[in-house]
Amino acid sequence: MAIDARHVSKTFSKYTALRDVSLKVDDGELIALLGPSGSGKTTLLRIIAGLDMADRCAETAVFVNGDDISRQPLSRRRVGFVFQHYALFRHMSVFENVAFGLRVRPRRERLSEPKLRKRVNDLLELIQLTTWSSHYPSQLSGGQRQRVALARALAIEPSVLLLDEPFGALDAKVRQELRRWLRELHERVHVTSVLVTHDQEEALEVADRVVIMNQGRIEQVGTPDEVFHRPASEFVLRFLGNVNLFHGRTFVRPHELDIDLQPIDPESVSARIVRIQSAGPIVRIELTTQDGEALHVEIPHDRHRELQLIAGAVVYVRVKSPALIRQHAGAGH
Amino acid sequence: MTRRVLTGVSVAFVGILILLPLIAVFIEAFRKGIPFYLAAISDPLAISALRLTVLTAAISLAANLIFGLAASWLIAKFSFPGRSLLLSLIDLPFAVSPVISGLIFILLFGAQGWFGNALTERGIQIVFATPGVILATVFVTFPFIARELIPLMQEQGTEEEEAAMLLGASGWKTFRRVTLPNIRWALVYGVVLANARAMGEFGAVSVVSGHIRGRTNTLPLHIEILYNEYNFSAAFAVATLLASLALVTLAAKAFLEWRIRAEERPLAEEA
Repeated sequence: MAIDARHVSKTFSKYTALRDVSLKVDDGELIALLGPSGSGKTTLLRIIAGLDMADRCAETAVFVNGDDISRQPLSRRRVGFVFQHYALFRHMSVFENVAFGLRVRPRRERLSEPKLRKRVNDLLELIQLTTWSSHYPSQLSGGQRQRVALARALAIEPSVLLLDEPFGALDAKVRQELRRWLRELHERVHVTSVLVTHDQEEALEVADRVVIMNQGRIEQVGTPDEVFHRPASEFVLRFLGNVNLFHGRTFVRPHELDIDLQPIDPESVSARIVRIQSAGPIVRIELTTQDGEALHVEIPHDRHRELQLIAGAVVYVRVKSPALIRQHAGAGH
Repeated sequence: MTRRVLTGVSVAFVGILILLPLIAVFIEAFRKGIPFYLAAISDPLAISALRLTVLTAAISLAANLIFGLAASWLIAKFSFPGRSLLLSLIDLPFAVSPVISGLIFILLFGAQGWFGNALTERGIQIVFATPGVILATVFVTFPFIARELIPLMQEQGTEEEEAAMLLGASGWKTFRRVTLPNIRWALVYGVVLANARAMGEFGAVSVVSGHIRGRTNTLPLHIEILYNEYNFSAAFAVATLLASLALVTLAAKAFLEWRIRAEERPLAEEA
């Protein structure tokens, strides 16, 4: 067990950030804490890192690799932490940033200069920034800075790697590249990692398991497949993507709906097309039912061509498979 | 048109109020020739005033350096009850008239003051002696360094320090290798400003010094005495020492502002 947090609560003067949260992370796992802002995910991460203290309570304890972190000074914990805004040392070169954790070790544990250089250079190679080693953080792009921050955290051979919205400040394309790169890196280095994010796509794509948080509580823990296809609560269902309320009682995702020009199914709902957005891998269609409720449907391009839909037309929306209705009916509570 | 008027007003203002007096100081100083000038500034009383001024500045800078760093660190990186009160207290010396500052020390440490008896019994003299001059100077230069550091430290936040600690750095190493390098130019800038004020301070020091020639006179006090004795050329000669010091300070300040701006250059846009 790499991380074992038990009954963690955290109250700031104004509000409660965490309410009795317990979480276990296995060795070598990459886990994502996913939730909207204010859900407590960053607070939980900071408590695991030891940057914040959990509220004092008899049952509360946080173990990292078997050690109770409240009994260890911050500098002895060997926790790798990656901040959203990088927190690189602005007056140090890329090389010195990565070398920092090795240089501040107590004299007895310090590496010799040649060994240190080798280690840092290996890491720079890993993040593909060898040629940038003498540059300063202000001369790097956001994506490059975050890679330096990662290398800096990995340099101390952390027992756990904690990432606080590491790609949050980057633009969409760089974010996607880095996400893939992080996953590859994890396959190679295999250090137990906890990633905080508010981006469901990121969590589902990168993590072995996803922890969905809401208002200081854990809503569900599961593999990306489990949380997406078997959401434990309406919150999880809604948070993981668009969802339609069908017939006022059934939750259906946009890609689970289809559109017909005729009412071929008794359960079909007639609706008027408001907007068609066909740029992208799928076609997104917004409709309004006669009761004035909004529906979102996603269909493949071939289907869209076949139907030749135009905005303003009245069509019939149906759930593709009856199995889906049963599956989600229980998620309404 | 508007621009020309504004420029004219500014130039006239700077010329009459700043440049003209500065030139006058140097002209008056050399009115009786260079030998007289040299004699005036090498007069034993002038030398002793200079020595006291430098000593006072050095000690008050050292004190304020430690206090300024500690207070800024506390205010910028932690939140605690009484934080804004401390912030206002740091500004107090700016808000209070220097004469009042001096009187406070008389009230506390003078012969009739709160601690007067206790001090006299132990043979310690603060007011009308060097310690009083130093105390008053520390008091009036108190805000300079902290005021310079607090906004910068607040803006820089605590993440770099947190990162350093998690990477294994002790508190002291974090301060020396991360915090201090990040604020070094602002720190030097604050020291330069505080130094200018420490050497030039008149009001507070005038109250506590007692104007004992050769013992408790700083340069500004010495200049005033010379002037009051109608010894104008000598007064201006000694004044050139302070004026030169001000010019050096200005140059240092300009250099530091340039350095700070170079470091605060907006971060490169994301490529």
